[in-house]
This record gives sequence, C-alpha cells and structure tokens, in this order.
Amino acid sequence: MLIEADHISIELSGRPVLRDVGLHLNEGEVYGLLGPNGAGKSTTVHVLLGLYSRSSGSVRVMEQDPELRAPAMRRQVGVLPERAGFYGWMRPEEYLQWYAALFGGARFSIPGLLERVGLADASERPIGEFSRGMRQRLGIARALLQAPKLLILDEPTNGLDPRGRREIHDLLRSLARGQNTGVLLCTHLLDDVGRLCDAVGIIHRGRTVLEGPLSEVLARKGGGRSYRVRLETEGPPENATLPTGVHARTLSKRWCLVHITAGAPTRPSRLWKYLLETGWRIVEIHDAGGGLEEVYLKCTRGDDSARVGDER
Amino acid sequence: MNPVFLIARKEAGRLLLDQWALAWLLAFSAVLSGFALLLVSNAELSLLDNAQVVYMMAGTVMSAGAIVAVILGCDAFAGERERCTLTPLLLAPVSSRELLLGKALGVSAAWGAAYLLAMPYLWAVGAGGQDLVQAIVYLALFGTPVVLGFGCLAMAFSAKTGNVITSLVTSLIILLLAASPLLIGPGLRGTVIGRMFDALNPFAAALNTFDAVVIDNETFTKQLVRLTVTFVWLGITFAVAYCAARRPRFR
Repeated sequence: MLIEADHISIELSGRPVLRDVGLHLNEGEVYGLLGPNGAGKSTTVHVLLGLYSRSSGSVRVMEQDPELRAPAMRRQVGVLPERAGFYGWMRPEEYLQWYAALFGGARFSIPGLLERVGLADASERPIGEFSRGMRQRLGIARALLQAPKLLILDEPTNGLDPRGRREIHDLLRSLARGQNTGVLLCTHLLDDVGRLCDAVGIIHRGRTVLEGPLSEVLARKGGGRSYRVRLETEGPPENATLPTGVHARTLSKRWCLVHITAGAPTRPSRLWKYLLETGWRIVEIHDAGGGLEEVYLKCTRGDDSARVGDER
Repeated sequence: MNPVFLIARKEAGRLLLDQWALAWLLAFSAVLSGFALLLVSNAELSLLDNAQVVYMMAGTVMSAGAIVAVILGCDAFAGERERCTLTPLLLAPVSSRELLLGKALGVSAAWGAAYLLAMPYLWAVGAGGQDLVQAIVYLALFGTPVVLGFGCLAMAFSAKTGNVITSLVTSLIILLLAASPLLIGPGLRGTVIGRMFDALNPFAAALNTFDAVVIDNETFTKQLVRLTVTFVWLGITFAVAYCAARRPRFR
C-alpha cells in the first residue's frame, strides 16, 4: 500500500484542524480526496508529506513515516501543491533542470516532459510570463520529474482549458494504468473524480466521513442518477411499467423526473430504448445530477460528526 | 552538485544576473557615491584627516551591507513562502541545514558583490594614505560576520513569521539599535551603559576596531576580543536561524 493513514488528528495554533482522518491508497489506483473548502484536504496532504507533525494517528507513506522526511521517500513522491510557485526569471527547462538537480537529476528527458504537458512551445519564455494554466502544467511536469511511484496532486486541473484538462486526465490515467503509479487527487471537481478515480474519500470538518472504492461508495450510499425528460404527450403512458430500480414522477405537463437508483441493473441507454419501446414519446433528456454529487452533498451536509466510523 | 551550492547558485543568480536584480547594485553604488562625494568635496569634512575619512567610509559600507543582508534574509523564507516557492523546496530531499546554508551563501554572495563594489570608493577617499589596506582587510574580517549575522537573524524572523514585512521591520529595528553607535555621540557611548552596550554589540565591535586600527594604528592582537564578539554574534544568529528553519512557516 502506498499510503496507509488512520485516525490522523492535528492541531495548528491550538485549533484542531484534523480530528479523525483516514486514507488508503494502493499502487496503480487513483484516489479522489473530496471535501468542502476548509475541510482539511490540503492539511491532510501536508501531514502525508511530513510538513506538519500529527498529534495522533498513524501514517505510512511508501512504508515509511513521512515525519522522518527520508530523502529516499521524497524521491519517490511527486507533488503538485495547492499553489504552484516558480522562479519567474527562469525558463521552464532551466527551472526543471535546477529542481531535478536537487533530487540528483531527472529520470525523464526534460524537453520530452515539457512536450508531454504541452509546454514545448513555451520552453524559451521566462516562467514569469506564463498564464495560470501554463504554470499548472509546469507544476505537473515538476511532479513527474522523478518518475514517482506516488503522485499527490492538489487541484491539478485548476486553471486549465478543456483540452488541457482532458490531456491531464489522459496523462494521469496512463500513469496509473501503465506505470502502476498511485495518484492522490485533491479536488472540488466531482466530474474529475467520476472520470478518473477508483477510490474516493470525503473529508468534512476535519473528519473522514466516507471512504472506499468509488463503485461501492455509489452503491452503498444510494447515489443513483436523475434525468429530466420532456415528452411529446402530457405525462407518461398510462399503466407504464418501469424496470427494477427505476422511478418516475411527473414534474409538469410535459416534464418527468426519471431516477435510476445506484446499483440498479438498468443502464441509461437501455432504459431510454425500453421507454421508447413501451410508448414513451421522448423529445429531450437532461442529466439532473445525482451519483457522486448526491453522495457528496449528503456527506457534507450539517453536522455529521455522529457518522464518523459508521461510514468508514 | 551539492544542494547547498544549487540553492546558493539560484540565490546568487537572482541577485546578480537578473536584469532587475542589478538595480540594487546600482542603488548601493549610488549611496556610496553620494557619501564619498560628501567626504571628498565638502569643505568642512575635507578638514578630516585621511584616516578618519577611510574609517567613516568603511562603517558606511558595513552598514549598507547589513541593510542588504537583512532585506535578503527576510526574503529567504518569507519571500519564498509568499511566492509559493517554499513548499517545493521543502519537498525536495534537502535538509533544513542545507537549505539554510544555501540561503546564507546567497547572502554572502551579495555581501561579496557589495564589498567589491565598495573598493573603488574606499580607494577614492583613502588613496594616498597608509590606512587604506588596513581598512580593506578589517572590513572583510569584521564586516563579514556582522553582516552575515544580521542576514541570519533576518532569516530566522523570516522563517518563523512567514511574512516579509513583519520580519523586515523587526530586523531593521534591531539593526538600527545595533548601529546606534553611529547615531549617538561619543559622550553617551562613554557612560557605563554605553560602554557595556559597546562591549556586547557586534556592530560597535566592528566600528571600534575600524577606529582603533585605521585611526589609532592599534595591532591585530588588541582586536581579538572584538573579533570574538563578532563571530559569537554570527554563531548565535546562525543557531537561531537553524532552529527557525527546521519548521518554517510555509502556508
């Protein structure tokens, strides 16, 4: 296991910031760490990196206590911090060479790495002239310099355009699947988590309120998915029967809400086919959310301290 | 390459090679030019003998060097934190000792540049006299620990507070206090408290040495106590900076 953290608590300036956080990440897995602003995601990352001393709990990163800050461990962990800072007067290649030298040299060709993150054309410009998205790409290149076994990325797609976001998704997927790299992704973007992650953890008010494989989490918490459906007729056909795990209710004359509960055997594409075959005259279908978003909202609503331990 | 030299190279590159960084060297030479002009051309000050002029110039170079060291020291951790570049440094396999040594070498490089820059000015005010070489040697010997000590003290405040303005104001106030022998008259320095302050103050130790060697032609052996004061100052400030740099404020 790359990260094994249980019951972490930490106080900063006498104020408890983390109360009971757990996180477990395996090789080749992408783990999404979710939580509202100020929930303790970045603090958890800093504890995992040994930058903060925990008050209690146990943490093993690559089989070592991060507080020892062993150089060997640091060489195997690539990090994109919350805010990626660089020396503006340096050029990207010069900066990456300098940073890699602190680790004893890069394991990748730096021009190749810049090309991989889409910065090959900007290699002659000083970093000070870079846009936010370009800095984010450079931060990812910096995290990849040592071909790490573990990548910890705090909001990696922040400031990226849609194409850049897709490229980073593909890159992370290829690292996890192809090179067995473990990726810890801190993000607010549920869409990123839904697309990339195998496992998910939700932190709320300094506590892990939910953790597990994404598919299990969705099934266990009854997430499901809702769709708003516009019909040509007023309401669905009379005596319409629906497959197991699918519910429908009328919203207005021509609009219905169709909900597929989590774990239902019916896939949306099959459901639409079935409905058309049974007389539903569907004009439009809109995704009305649900799934991970619903789970997230449930877990981060109000004071759920009583649920700690029940859900994990 | 050793991480200490990598960090020092980065610091020195920013200080001495960047086009805007050269501005501080220009400002430094402008200060020295103004002061040298005052010493050489002012009719009243021209009445001072050559040794006194050299002594005042050496004191000015050390003071200006200490101000530069304080500014760079404050930027060393707090500036990196504010630019979000401190976290990557802390995540690299670099110990806090190496990080501090690298930063201190960066401050030393700036002091070295300032010292070299001061040479023509010292020569301009002291040419022809016998005190010039002594001033140059003693400025290096006593000025270096005093200037680097202030740089280390500023680094300690910088690492602990994580705020450039706070650490800069605090360090400059301490520097002002230490440099008070330049501000207060010899009468006040002659009192018991003034003499005690002089004995413990590294800045005063260096100034009194310049006075004793350049003006009064005292020997080196008579300056050993003052030399010890300046190196103890450097040792203490480095130890304080080391403690602060072990857990710098990074967020």
